[in-house]
Amino acid sequence: MNLEQIAESAPLSENVDSVVRFTNVDYSHPNGVPALRGISVEFKKGELVGILGANGAGKSTLVRHINGILKPTHGSVEVFGESTKNTSAAKLSRRVGIVFQNPNNQLFAQSVKSEIEFGLRNFGFDDELVRQRTDWALNTFSLIEYSNRAPMELSGGEKKRLCNALVLAWDPDIVILDEPTVGQDSEQKERLAQLVKLLLSEQKTIILVSHDMEFLWPLQPRMILMSGGKILADGTAQQVVRDRVSFSHANILAPQLVELFTELGDLGRFPADEFEARDKIRLQMTAAKEK
Amino acid sequence: MLASAIFVVSLVSHIEVLIVLITFTIALTFAAKIVKRFGKSMTFFAPLALIAFLLNYYVFPVGLLTATNLALRLFAVIASSSLFFLTTTPDELEQVMRWFHLPPDLVMIFVIAVRFVPVLFLDALQIMDAQKSRGLEFEKGNLMKRLRNTIPLLVPLIAVAVNRSLELAEAMDSRAYGATKRPTSLYVLKYNFSDYFTTIAGIVMSSFGIYFALFGRLW
Ligand SMILES: Nc1ncnc2c1ncn2[C@@H]1O[C@H](COP(=O)(O)OP(=O)(O)OP(=O)(O)O)[C@@H](O)[C@H]1O
Ligand SMILES: [Mg+2]
Repeated sequence: MNLEQIAESAPLSENVDSVVRFTNVDYSHPNGVPALRGISVEFKKGELVGILGANGAGKSTLVRHINGILKPTHGSVEVFGESTKNTSAAKLSRRVGIVFQNPNNQLFAQSVKSEIEFGLRNFGFDDELVRQRTDWALNTFSLIEYSNRAPMELSGGEKKRLCNALVLAWDPDIVILDEPTVGQDSEQKERLAQLVKLLLSEQKTIILVSHDMEFLWPLQPRMILMSGGKILADGTAQQVVRDRVSFSHANILAPQLVELFTELGDLGRFPADEFEARDKIRLQMTAAKEK
Repeated sequence: MLASAIFVVSLVSHIEVLIVLITFTIALTFAAKIVKRFGKSMTFFAPLALIAFLLNYYVFPVGLLTATNLALRLFAVIASSSLFFLTTTPDELEQVMRWFHLPPDLVMIFVIAVRFVPVLFLDALQIMDAQKSRGLEFEKGNLMKRLRNTIPLLVPLIAVAVNRSLELAEAMDSRAYGATKRPTSLYVLKYNFSDYFTTIAGIVMSSFGIYFALFGRLW
């Protein structure tokens, strides 16, 4: 029975479209540093998740469990209903694409193009498909003009973009981007946001690890706050941002817009919710114009 | 200790002496409270001595005694090297080398090399993880395929190492490395009892080693 059949035959319950499930996961690094403590969390199909937290909170460690690079010390991680324990990272990665934080750790090919082809060939795509997907990736990430350049000679931001491209090229079902906006200019960030929306419309699960509140906020993801290897808060972006205590624990600043309206709300002039406030401002503006 | 151990080992072929040497080394690890880590590194390296023994005994026409002897020699060197690297930090090594008035640049090169070995190891692990996540299966395929699989590992590793050394050089320059000919040390090493003890023990052992080598027996 393959995965799709299992999914079809499963009884209808709210867990049907759960693609990743952590159950009481503890993880300690080989040197004994505990990085995850008692993590239980579930990600669903078609969901957009933002993971936030201070440096060293365990965000990267958490996502490395999803494609089986790391195996939990205690507890279990299930991906598409199967434990990661006995599956190799290379196999899981076909459906779980991770773009790592540090792009220097993986670029080796002679050209940008062959760098993208590498993953596709590892997963056994045929020549025609390799060509198609490579072209798609080069275009989508505006790397066409670099396609024959050496990856190592690219700038930091370009390398990061190439890493995003080479993972998305094989079209994984779960896309994990670790700090995707680091070193990206505003145009590239905007493109990335568009891409995230496109992938969501294809029912992919997207996990963004990021400190970049201004990037995450407009996407309104489900937000997970981490600190010291634990999950502090988990909820909609609106809920989590207003959880001031957890927020300051995780060393994160709320988006400036939210800050502004929370302060204005404290003054009693505006509703604290900036969407409500925006509507109110609009109303007053049109009223003023009509006068 | 390391120096005297290697010295003794290279000269002496008497099993009794080797056993004394190894016992002494192990006693020192107890004194230095690093038994656990010592044990770990030894369980990693000890099979090497065993392989040497088996190889010597079965493949080459040497006797049981010679084979044991060679294996013990290897074991003694490994044990004392482990002891040395587990007890001595690169900083301490740096100061000792300065005492001997080695050129500061040479000392610095050595210290950096020693300090960056674990970092490089960590890099290698991370690169392996990254390439596995791109569907590369290191353990699969025939010899040629496996050799080819090391390219995605080695190229970034070298690139990262070269990059780091360039950045490190710039960072050191901008932190005024080399501005004074003889930089002072923040921490000063002092000889204490245990240092005297190991030094004397080392000298005694080395002397025994020479004596044995020259006369072949103790009396
Ligand atoms: N390879 C490793 N060996 C030992 N400890 C590690 C290793 N990688 C990470 N750690 C430790 O595990 C903890 C969590 O690290 P992790 O990389 O998951 O943090 P993070 O939330 O991704 O931080 P950042 O925002 O800086 O990326 C940290 O305390 C870190 O020092
Ligand atoms: Mg991280």
